[in-house]
Amino acid sequence: MNRFGKKKLLLATLAVVLVLALLSACSKNDAGNQGASGEPSPNPSSESAPSAKAPIELSLFIDAPWYPVKEWKGPVAEKITEKTGVKLKVTVATDDKQLPLMIASGDLPDLVFTYAQVDRLSDSKLSYPWNELIAKYAPDFKIDDTRIAIHTMDDGNFYTVRNSFATQEEMAKSKYSLGSDGNPGIAVREDILKELGNPPIQTLDDFLKVLGMVKAKYPDMIPLTMDKEWIEQYFLQQSGVEGLLDGWYERDGKVDYVLRQPETLDYFKFMNSLYRNGFILAENFAYTNDQIDDQYATSGKAFAHSHTVSVADSDNIKVKNSGGSYTFKLLPSALSDKTISVSSGLGFAGTFITKNNKNPEASIKFIQYLASDEGKKLTMFGVEGEHWTWNEEGYPNLKYDPNDADFVNGNGIKWWYLYNDGVTEGMLSYVPGTQKTQALMDRKAFTVYKPALGLIQTQPDSPEKTLKTKIDEMVKNEKVKIYLAKSEEEAVANYENMVKNAEKLGLQKLVDWANETYQKKKDLFK
Amino acid sequence: MAGNSATASVKANARSTNGRQALFWKRFKKQKLLHLFVGLGIVFLLIFSYSPMFGILMAFKDYSISSGIKGIFTSEWVGLAHFEEFVNDYQFGTIVRNTLVLSLLKVLFTFPAPILLAILLNEAKNLRFKRFVQTVSYLPHFISWVVVVGISFSFFSADIGVVNKALMGLGVIDKPLAILTNPNYFWGLSVGSAVWKEMGWWTIIFLAAIAGINPSLYEAAQMDGAGRLARIRHITFPGMKGTIVVVLILTVGSILGGGLVGSNFEQAFLFGNSINNPTSEIVQTYAFKVGLKDGRFSYAASIDLIQSVISVILIFSSNAIAKRTSGSSLF
Repeated sequence: MNRFGKKKLLLATLAVVLVLALLSACSKNDAGNQGASGEPSPNPSSESAPSAKAPIELSLFIDAPWYPVKEWKGPVAEKITEKTGVKLKVTVATDDKQLPLMIASGDLPDLVFTYAQVDRLSDSKLSYPWNELIAKYAPDFKIDDTRIAIHTMDDGNFYTVRNSFATQEEMAKSKYSLGSDGNPGIAVREDILKELGNPPIQTLDDFLKVLGMVKAKYPDMIPLTMDKEWIEQYFLQQSGVEGLLDGWYERDGKVDYVLRQPETLDYFKFMNSLYRNGFILAENFAYTNDQIDDQYATSGKAFAHSHTVSVADSDNIKVKNSGGSYTFKLLPSALSDKTISVSSGLGFAGTFITKNNKNPEASIKFIQYLASDEGKKLTMFGVEGEHWTWNEEGYPNLKYDPNDADFVNGNGIKWWYLYNDGVTEGMLSYVPGTQKTQALMDRKAFTVYKPALGLIQTQPDSPEKTLKTKIDEMVKNEKVKIYLAKSEEEAVANYENMVKNAEKLGLQKLVDWANETYQKKKDLFK
Repeated sequence: MAGNSATASVKANARSTNGRQALFWKRFKKQKLLHLFVGLGIVFLLIFSYSPMFGILMAFKDYSISSGIKGIFTSEWVGLAHFEEFVNDYQFGTIVRNTLVLSLLKVLFTFPAPILLAILLNEAKNLRFKRFVQTVSYLPHFISWVVVVGISFSFFSADIGVVNKALMGLGVIDKPLAILTNPNYFWGLSVGSAVWKEMGWWTIIFLAAIAGINPSLYEAAQMDGAGRLARIRHITFPGMKGTIVVVLILTVGSILGGGLVGSNFEQAFLFGNSINNPTSEIVQTYAFKVGLKDGRFSYAASIDLIQSVISVILIFSSNAIAKRTSGSSLF
């Protein structure tokens, strides 16, 4: 009996192994094919390029799991390689813990592009200070004082300069620079709105009413689906909250945590009412990937879709490409007289030249090229002549729709902005006639610039950093209980409890520290 | 004289030690191959379990990752500050409760399940059926938790899940159950999926124990008129007892990791989300978050150290209890 059993077991195991081998063989084949089809294309072009030297290959880690470009290919990447002689071997993070793990194990690539670990990587043990590399290898690489001041750490060095940043003056000077995709927007189904008799949506209450009508008339539809990264921003701004929940706001020269801004409670009440009325799914707060909401929206299962200002344009393209006939319309950027957007951003993400870098000289020169006017335009708009021509008015005439994500990502436009600025990026949004352009122009009216708030940054391994992380982590856990509370009283009680928790953790100490830092640093912008 | 006898006895001692040593080496040579096996295991333990232990130091120090491995020794001592911080954490109670409840529930359900299945399989008359059940029940063991969680999404999701659709279709419920997000379902979900995934695998070891029982015992019992249940109770079960006790002790030692099925961390990490966080955050996921995501290695090390100490206490006490009550024990 035993021997018989063993034989069977052996057979079963063998079968499993065979199946696995078969599967892995398949997947290997796939990868091989991809490699084969991907590789030859850059080769001929680099051979025919004037710089006949083989390009230097540097490894780049992108600390953003959602990053839309994953390989160094396409016309923009090729052009950059042609101009700089540098080719990148790109790895995109699988989750937000991968880079911290790489830092811990000392296993860093040549270059790292990150927004979450900027302060941790700004460390002379992990990265080369840009100021040293510039002095040594690229003395003609000039960066303006504001940007240097923002990124200078306590040791007097700066290790990166974030992209997507522009001062209020720079923004004001350029009429056609509108700001980036990184602003919230909500799109609604135009056809359904029409069937409901085109009710006006001018206030938050109007919006709630329409969602209620949708729910009553189309019970199978989800009234509002939200991208997991863009759940809060739009409604925070409509409620008059002057930052994100882990940010700072300023009143009469004093700084406090946004959590304690009076308007924050209104925001929470509103969000809770969305849930209690059945306008949003509880599951929406637990989505682990950012495609689910897109699928709901573009497969016709949702009425409203919350994402960035480009949400209507990009949903429309997707719907059209898949043969749908309905369209999305962007809600007004301001649905209340309290709407405010405080821009305290210091930019989005920065590139670090790590201590493991095998060619710091080529790396800093590579960044210098990206920082040049030519480099900035090439990364942001695409190849001149092929993708755009310069309009004498001061903006590019694009030969493509910047909201066509497939085209933009496929050609590697914008996403290689390892160094860039908010002005150039803002021009990509200027496409007369698109909904996004209109929304961004509207937004200019209620945007206030307070970059000094952004300078309230905790240094790695400092007690403030630990404190802030703890509070933010607590808020992350507790806020969901407010959103999903069963009654408004419960929501308010949960909110008060959350603030109390934060205070117990030491919020006041953090706020005192923030005020001190703020007073010291706000003069940088005067 | 006295000196003489003393030297004589020393000599005799030396001779007998020599003799014993010679005997030892002789036996050692005979068991060469076996020692090689054991030696490999010891080397493995030394390299992967003992040598990294110096890292425990950082639980008592103010360590920063940027100071590298050297920093473990050079950074400043802070005593029990990190332990205090954890104990005073606002979530401390919840996290510890979740860890304990999840672990206890898992042991409670996943430990007897394979024993029962083994006994049932042993009683099955149809060999084909027996093989089939055994194969089907142990195959899930080879699927990684990531995949299991992925599969469970398509089964239990409130929106697209098959289970919810079926229950709604049958009219059993009128609103989809938020199995994956409601904190009240998390423990059930974890224990259920762990039983499903690991039951068949652990059945193998118990079936082996049953196979070792002398068949003549059954024949004798049958002649004496013992029915099926009586045979299970008086022969099968006592025959498995030794195995059961050993497995139980190992289970209790690793109870905070989820017992014999392990995977507390994987489940809490993969099934966990911001909505079911009140029941899904456990010590390991918390240590992982503060350690790797926030880069606070000292703090994370102290949290894990607390857990290890509890585990060691548990394994020793369960061993002692087993020794006293059943006579069989691990050491």
